[in-house]
Amino acid sequence: MQSRRHAPETEETGIDLAPMLDFTVNLLIFFIITTSFIKEAGITVFKPEAVTAENRQSGNLLIAIRENGDIWMDRRRIEMRDVRTLMERLHIERPDDTVVIIADRESNAGVLAEVMDEVRLAGIQIMSIAADPGAG
Amino acid sequence: MRKRRHSGEGHESSTGIDLAPMLDFVINLLIFFIITAVFVKESGLEVNRPTAFETPPDENDSESIQIQILDNGEIWVDNRPVDVRAVRANVERMSAVNPDSGVLILAQEEAPTGTLVEVVDQVHLGGIYNITFSTTQ
Repeated sequence: MQSRRHAPETEETGIDLAPMLDFTVNLLIFFIITTSFIKEAGITVFKPEAVTAENRQSGNLLIAIRENGDIWMDRRRIEMRDVRTLMERLHIERPDDTVVIIADRESNAGVLAEVMDEVRLAGIQIMSIAADPGAG
Repeated sequence: MRKRRHSGEGHESSTGIDLAPMLDFVINLLIFFIITAVFVKESGLEVNRPTAFETPPDENDSESIQIQILDNGEIWVDNRPVDVRAVRANVERMSAVNPDSGVLILAQEEAPTGTLVEVVDQVHLGGIYNITFSTTQ
């Protein structure tokens, strides 16, 4: 049998790594499961405040509306007619996603209503309007 | 060349697979997922939005409480302009008369969203969570 040139010098196993591996794999599984792949809007808007705002765990598609009516999603500016297409694609990928619309407090209600309509037409029924749970 | 045989070839190599490379790999994956984990908690308010396929909200429906928001941010309840802080009292009074009624918010196209959210907040404080949001020209 041919000898190996770079074979280990000793077969000293040292610490048994198996329990550490078990533990690490468990941690890994935890982080994989809790990662929700949030699509951030990419800009900061001046959110309105509301005392009764509730924390939504599952809201992970964020759409931002700026005060001049620009719509931002996934770190880029999109047109109103693209909202539906993008939402349909994301809805097919993960059907239990919910939408949070982050509208600037100076933005028009008409734009907000249009975005809500587009999201609903894309098939996502659960959406909420973002608000800071501040002093109100 | 059998004389240069290493101890790994012997019968004492009962260690099985070396787990160290796998552990390195798994820890790398773990670090990746820890770093990319984003814990965003966006808080918000839920409102209903009637779709075009459903029947449009009847503006003469006496069952629902109507709140109008004008382009300049004025709030009208019962054909009277009211302050934001008075919305709650109005809603409480009207829901006492008709406990099953929902609230219909009619906002004009240019009405500021901040006012809309404030009104929704006040209606929530007034005890009604069945809010429908609609826009008018």
